[in-house]
Amino acid sequence: MLSRIAESLFWLGRYIERAEDTARILDVNYHMLLEESQRSYRLRWEPLIIMAGEENRFRHLYGEANAENVFEFLAFRQDNPSSIVQCIAKARENARTIRDRISREMWEDINGLYHKISSFRSQDEIAAGPHRFCDEIKFGTHRFHGVTDATMPHDEGWQFLRIGWSLERAEMTARLVDVQYQNLLEELPPGNGASDHHQWMAVLRSVGALEAYHRQYHSSIEPEKVAEMLILHPLHPRSIRFSTSEVRTGLRALSGTGPDSYANEAERLAGRIVQRLSYDKVGEIFKQGLHSYLGEMLRICGAIGDDIARTYFYYAVVA
Amino acid sequence: MSAFPSPTVRHGLFEGYETGSFYDEMFIAPGQPRPQYLKLFQKLGAMAPAQFEERRRLADLSFLIQGITFTVYSDGQNTERLFPFDLIPRILPHSEWERIDRGLAQRVVALNLFLQDVYGKQCIFKEGRLSKSLVYSCPHFRREVIGVEVPRGIYTHICGIDLVRDSKTGEFCVLEDNVRTPSGISYVLENRLVMTRTLPDAFQASEVLPVHHYPAELSRILRSLSPRGEDDAQVVLLTPGIYNSAYFEHSFLAQQMGIELVEGRDLIVDGGVVYMKTIHGLNRVDVIYRRVDDDFLDSLAFRSDSILGVPGLMGAYRAGNVALANAVGNGVADDKAIYAYVPEFIRYYLGEDPILRSVETYICAKPGDLAYVLEHLPELVVKAVGESGGYGMLIGPSSDSKKIEQFRERIQANPRNYIAQPVVALSRVPSYDVSSKTVGGRHVDLRPYCLYDGKKVTIVPGGLTRVALQRGSLVVNSSQGGGSKDTWVLRGEE
Repeated sequence: MLSRIAESLFWLGRYIERAEDTARILDVNYHMLLEESQRSYRLRWEPLIIMAGEENRFRHLYGEANAENVFEFLAFRQDNPSSIVQCIAKARENARTIRDRISREMWEDINGLYHKISSFRSQDEIAAGPHRFCDEIKFGTHRFHGVTDATMPHDEGWQFLRIGWSLERAEMTARLVDVQYQNLLEELPPGNGASDHHQWMAVLRSVGALEAYHRQYHSSIEPEKVAEMLILHPLHPRSIRFSTSEVRTGLRALSGTGPDSYANEAERLAGRIVQRLSYDKVGEIFKQGLHSYLGEMLRICGAIGDDIARTYFYYAVVA
Repeated sequence: MSAFPSPTVRHGLFEGYETGSFYDEMFIAPGQPRPQYLKLFQKLGAMAPAQFEERRRLADLSFLIQGITFTVYSDGQNTERLFPFDLIPRILPHSEWERIDRGLAQRVVALNLFLQDVYGKQCIFKEGRLSKSLVYSCPHFRREVIGVEVPRGIYTHICGIDLVRDSKTGEFCVLEDNVRTPSGISYVLENRLVMTRTLPDAFQASEVLPVHHYPAELSRILRSLSPRGEDDAQVVLLTPGIYNSAYFEHSFLAQQMGIELVEGRDLIVDGGVVYMKTIHGLNRVDVIYRRVDDDFLDSLAFRSDSILGVPGLMGAYRAGNVALANAVGNGVADDKAIYAYVPEFIRYYLGEDPILRSVETYICAKPGDLAYVLEHLPELVVKAVGESGGYGMLIGPSSDSKKIEQFRERIQANPRNYIAQPVVALSRVPSYDVSSKTVGGRHVDLRPYCLYDGKKVTIVPGGLTRVALQRGSLVVNSSQGGGSKDTWVLRGEE
């Protein structure tokens, strides 16, 4: 497989995932706030901008955060490179450059999603609230995963897609937990009754893990357990452990390496991060400090991405 | 069965349709379809206009979702556009196609022999049948490949030859040859797919010859060129990239043939061998179906500012380590002045009379022709010899005196660069006008795609019918507002 094509598949996966995760977080945040007092509004919207890593750009464009401008910024702005519309456009652009390598169904699916999203008028959507738009994105990206699974051979190309979206998902979950945890702690000391409970429920809902949480813990919603679920759960598809484990499996499939060794730096780092997540306990994580723990996870994910590029996309050619 | 429909058949869509003063491909006279159109006429005639409009919308949507678009360059911006598709097909009876098929095959073989000759022994100059200076002054003649042995002696692997039907005689003639990197075959295949989904009953009733074997045949020919043998042949399609107007076609063909679609930056030449950069290191490449023009292929041999090609590629080609399709230097054979000599090539190389007529051509490089052209500019079509895609053209009858004078100056300044032809009254096919929701006659041409393996020429029945969708327009190029139609060659005569 050509390096250029592998890279396009990797980014196609990442952009699809980023669009979905952003839509999920937007939607849930919006609905959580419908039941809250106006007082804490700003505090509830700013974390989303921080999560996207776009504080400066946002402040320059809008100043103070509110439901409408955060929605517009994260969903529609052309000048926000990680807005949902931009992610879908870039996913489609990547798919277009490799449409001979993906199935016809995959291409038509992402192309159709792009045209549908492009036909939405941002002013109408902002007036209607984010639910309709975010649902469109969620179902659209889910369908793309389904079409991909059902029509693309699980070959090397598929592994790059899988690595792309799993790595993106691990990073997004890490950012979500980190930002929400800090934010909720700053505002309210933990264990402060109903409101706290309500917000952690929203976090779980945004990654589609609320029902799974209830089944697992049979208890009220507690921050530590939520963190345990989202960071360490071995089987939930959006936990950091599960997502990084997907990255590791994909990397091993590419190089054909056995279970206890590694063929490149990306594999070594992925192996190590999965080991840690498999044996760490949530109490230890909190003892170390959740923020520093997640920061380290994010750094390692970044390094894995860089090393995939060095190994497979931009290796030096001596000619 | 009578060639005429019973008076009870409702005309529906074709109510009030006028055949005008041109050859109409569908009707002998208003309400009287030609035999090959009889079944379609009955099926479409039974359809309410609203029903037809609904089908047309479905077809358009299908092209949009599939992303079957081309890119237009204007105002420094690239815009993706749908290539308009007209649902009413162009239909040819088998006997007429059979003659076209033989005529094209003859022409392709003669063009290939001509290229072998001018880049080889050059007998045609020695025997005084063609002037060496005319050939050497072609903008696309490539001295760099004189004496290069091309695999199996094939230059013209893929040709798109433009035909038009002259309303005066009702006969097909050749308008121009495209033997460099002709495009459009993907539209032939996609149009057919959409057509069979949109009007399945009309299609089935007519018994149409299939076209879908094109990619398999092209793939077979490309593999046969491999310097390392067919079994291990690594064949790739070289594209200028996503912003090229024909990018859709490049990716479509690569996918249909199951070969790698590469850009120049994916390839590298080392020790006279071409490799592509894969995730597991460098892989040797044997055959390149290149959709990049000669000028941009190799910045060491041709234009040094090109980033689309592969530095050193020509070295690998000369050494016989990689095959290119089409060959380098083919542009000399589709030069519009050389075009006038193709009937002569057929006689000289094959000892046969040409089956298909050519359009009368005045070569401005010849003093006698030049004088005639300058005197008759308002009646003629003037073309720059090295251009394609409808660029660099003057259509005398529809141009004002200012434009005509501009061309007069250009021709006088550089006569070798121009030829002129009488205006051909192109035949028309009923076509649907989207804004008025009525059917009117629109001018068409026909580009069949010919594949040559060194022994025989394979042509998928039909080809791309391009249609000038603007009323009265003669320009069918997609870059100038043209659209396309599915072309049906029938198993029989009706």
